[in-house]
Amino acid sequence: MEDVLDEVVSSEDLQKFEKVFHEQLHQGKVTHKAQFEYAWCLVRSRYPTDIRKGILLLKELFNSHPDGKRDYLFYLAIGNARIKEYNKALHYVKAFLEIEPANQQVLALERQINKRMEKEGLIGMAVAGGAVLALGGLVGLGIALASKK
Amino acid sequence: MSRCDFKIVLLGSEHVGKTSLVLRFVNCRFNGGTPYQNTIGAAFCAKTMQSNGKDFNIGIWDTAGSERYEAMTRMYYRGAHAAIVCYEPSSLESWARLRHWLQELRTVEEECKVYLCGTKKDLLDAGAVTREVPEDIVATYSQGHRGHFLTSSKTGENVDELFQKIVDDCAADMRLMKNVEELRLQLMKDEAIYKSKRKDFCSC
Repeated sequence: MEDVLDEVVSSEDLQKFEKVFHEQLHQGKVTHKAQFEYAWCLVRSRYPTDIRKGILLLKELFNSHPDGKRDYLFYLAIGNARIKEYNKALHYVKAFLEIEPANQQVLALERQINKRMEKEGLIGMAVAGGAVLALGGLVGLGIALASKK
Repeated sequence: MSRCDFKIVLLGSEHVGKTSLVLRFVNCRFNGGTPYQNTIGAAFCAKTMQSNGKDFNIGIWDTAGSERYEAMTRMYYRGAHAAIVCYEPSSLESWARLRHWLQELRTVEEECKVYLCGTKKDLLDAGAVTREVPEDIVATYSQGHRGHFLTSSKTGENVDELFQKIVDDCAADMRLMKNVEELRLQLMKDEAIYKSKRKDFCSC
């Protein structure tokens, strides 16, 4: 089932908000709104470089614009989860829940992140297991070759 | 992984109770104890429903009503098969905004089936609030749309009925159903490709 972590921004939307942001950048004054909208698109991009860029923009906003703190924390968590920086994502989730402990959206996000960690943890172990087997095979082959000589 | 067959989007002014409606429908619960939290951007929920004995996955995008997010919530209308546009019968302002939401929706997703939803029926019934939006105006206005429901997320009244009507309407829409079937097939193909790719990856 798709969820907030799978949902991807369309390239037209990304370009639209990128344009506004860059225009303001050239004029020397970027509004919080333009930066947030662009960052929101970036963290929902399918490309990790975009997501990282979005995270930087959100961090900057977080430090300069306290009014939007909950928005920035939420999308910082989403961005980090999307590039599989799960511990960082959970750190932002925790920071959010300190302000609003019962927030349904953030609690749901926390569950999703935990689910992914669990799922990918198992996959990670399977890959590691595969590598050990492959290595074992190579060593075995080496021994077999050495003993042939 | 299964995709959603039908995409439903919720629109409406801040604080009319869009999130409560979704939570009542999905979790069969109303949380009166928690303080109001405005939705950030858009939240997603899913549920499986039946129509005519067939199962459908319903994906619901609950968009933020706050104007702060307006430029972006528009992105969530795209591809929506149905929209629930909410207002509070006790607030003329929310009714005026409803027209605005409808226009917004029309510019993005012309073909979307539209349902009007008056929220917080329990408050109206109990006399805790007075109706400001005249019923005849609502009735006239809803004629141009798929339906009008007066719901209470607190008691659950008319909530399932609203969503069931949407799913029945979608399932009865031949053109929409053709797309749904095609998407399901495509998804199965993609999954098969993905699986075979993973196999390649593992063996090297």
